[in-house]
Amino acid sequence: MQAAGKTKGAIIIGLLPAILIYSVFAILPIIQSFYYSVMEWNGFSDMSFVGLANFQALFQDTLFWNSVKNNIYVVLASVLGQVPIALFIALLLNRKLKGLKIFRTIGFLPVVLSTVVISLTWSLIYNSENGLINELLRALGLGGLAQNWLGDTNWSMIAVCVTVIWQFVGLYLIIFLAALQNVPEEVLEAAKIDGASEWTTTWKITVPMIWDTIIVAVILCIAGSLKTFDLIYVMTNGGPSHSTDVMALYMFNETFSQLQYGYGSAVSVVIFFFSLILIFIVTKLLGRKML
Amino acid sequence: MKKIGWLLASLLVLISLTACGGESDEASGSDVIELTVWNDWTEDRPENTVYKDMIKKFNEENEGIEVKIESIPHDQYETKLRTQAAGQQLPDMFRVWPGTRIAPLVEGNALLSLNEIVDEWEGKIPEGILKDYAIDGEHYAIPANISETSLIFYHKDALAKAGFDTFPATYEELKSLIEKLKEQNVTPIALGNKAIWPLQSVYISTIADRYTGSDFLENALNGEASFTDERFVKALSVIEELANMEAFNGDLNTIDEAQSRSEFVSGNTAMHFAGSWAIGPILDSVENQDAIGVAPFPSFEGGDGDPAKIAGVAGGGIALNSDLSGEKKEAAFTFLKYFYSDEMFQKLVKANIIVPADVEMDDSIPEVFQEANSFAQGGLAPVYDATLTPELTDIINNGLQSITLGEKTPEELAEEMEKESE
Repeated sequence: MQAAGKTKGAIIIGLLPAILIYSVFAILPIIQSFYYSVMEWNGFSDMSFVGLANFQALFQDTLFWNSVKNNIYVVLASVLGQVPIALFIALLLNRKLKGLKIFRTIGFLPVVLSTVVISLTWSLIYNSENGLINELLRALGLGGLAQNWLGDTNWSMIAVCVTVIWQFVGLYLIIFLAALQNVPEEVLEAAKIDGASEWTTTWKITVPMIWDTIIVAVILCIAGSLKTFDLIYVMTNGGPSHSTDVMALYMFNETFSQLQYGYGSAVSVVIFFFSLILIFIVTKLLGRKML
Repeated sequence: MKKIGWLLASLLVLISLTACGGESDEASGSDVIELTVWNDWTEDRPENTVYKDMIKKFNEENEGIEVKIESIPHDQYETKLRTQAAGQQLPDMFRVWPGTRIAPLVEGNALLSLNEIVDEWEGKIPEGILKDYAIDGEHYAIPANISETSLIFYHKDALAKAGFDTFPATYEELKSLIEKLKEQNVTPIALGNKAIWPLQSVYISTIADRYTGSDFLENALNGEASFTDERFVKALSVIEELANMEAFNGDLNTIDEAQSRSEFVSGNTAMHFAGSWAIGPILDSVENQDAIGVAPFPSFEGGDGDPAKIAGVAGGGIALNSDLSGEKKEAAFTFLKYFYSDEMFQKLVKANIIVPADVEMDDSIPEVFQEANSFAQGGLAPVYDATLTPELTDIINNGLQSITLGEKTPEELAEEMEKESE
């Protein structure tokens, strides 16, 4: 500790390049968004100050609330889908298993694939005329269950959520596996000697011991889902008729397709606070001091 | 330890500083003027090849100037252009579309007026077409082609099987053709509306013109007419009717335009509604060009419009960055004069592109193209997304998609548009 105190100056200088880059490319744009959000601006002409009119218009826009609703679906699908599934598989894989590496690699594969590849592949799988799912259903004589997965507004959001879950399960799988490997053998052995069943050991010992990791995973999950964009942009671009619109997509389309930079910035600011509040609530709910 | 810490820290700072400042000392020394041109010529089709070849030839013949091509896929092109324009980082030259689509760029003073050199094309390209790229008397680009947005391509044998020797001239007949095709288990029309513009640009531009006449759009925008006009609602209802009678492939909202075109080419559907941009790709990929027919949109009973018209707009213009000056500006002017020449128009016609200039056509030109070319003689009707504001375009695009899903009625969409335009 003492050494650290002496080289404080060096540490600061060492951090400076990173801080500088981070400020210019991350902090500054956020502050700029705040500034633009009270302006009316089409991106080319002069800005004019409009106060909170953008926010007023935003809160009255049903399309925005529609995108919030869809975004909450994505958050729920991620938190309730990705985390439990990943935890389940991680617990299964966390024993001396033949071919462990293969399973781990398979699980992690979707994370490595480019989102565009995933989106296009799943679009083909979901296609109503000759997609894999419908062909399979028809081959099994279940043609009646075949749906226009991405083209039907009742199914499109569900279809997108399934893909989102599939894409990121691997990421949390790896995080959980790493955490599980850090659970000390002695503790588990002690539990065994005391006669605890596998079930009790898992719930009373293993899960509590990696609880902090689970919280981090949930927060990563929420933050990731709130800014989800690329997958849906390629898969449906928010369609059909806005049924898969999420906040980031709504912001993008308002800003760049309709040239409302001020309004789009207002949307960004709202997303910013929305994420902040949600993550605050989650850390409170799940207990344990974070950060 | 302390010394090493300081050393490392200063080294880091040094590296990061030099990394940022490395770019300043290039680009001097050579006399070649470099001009970058942004475009959407990513698809491998004859039209794009002509443009690229012209630039290649220009570079070979003009030693002092080097034109660099940067291609961006069409669906992302305009978004990128607008984003870069907002950041004032436009390239020297870039492809633009006429009407309301260049208006914001002009308002933001991003474009250079071409009035100095526009005389070059006097007498070659009719004033009526040149003016598509002009705003308040200032020309900002020269058109290379005319894009007809509403053509009907069909397989002749599929129609013959359904008992039609010629393409239906009225909407009623078209509907009975669709019914006949469905009885034979043939998907009538290939539509790829994932990107949501085809139903508006291809379908409504001409269908609405048939009902309302060509002055309506202008009037509706400046408040002299209303989008809730019964005739406009009727035009929107045509889409509803076609969707309800299942005239389209089931995945219409999840495949894009190019995918639907290949569905048509492979013979899975009898018809495909598209613009003149599809002529080349379709003729290139079918086995027998004579088996493909092309027809204008049918007439609609009770419509006030001229049924001979076809929605169309000038295109292929390249605008210059308003920052260009001196040598670079002269070089860009030289390039434009070279590019928009008879030589290119000739080549474009051979690539089945409808051009604004009067060029002769021989028998080597396919019949489909000659016919499509002749439709323009009936007069051009305004194309919706070239005329509407971006907000209205967004509303009608999404609205038409909702109509195909039964989530919105034509009346609701018309009211929504009227509300926005007020």
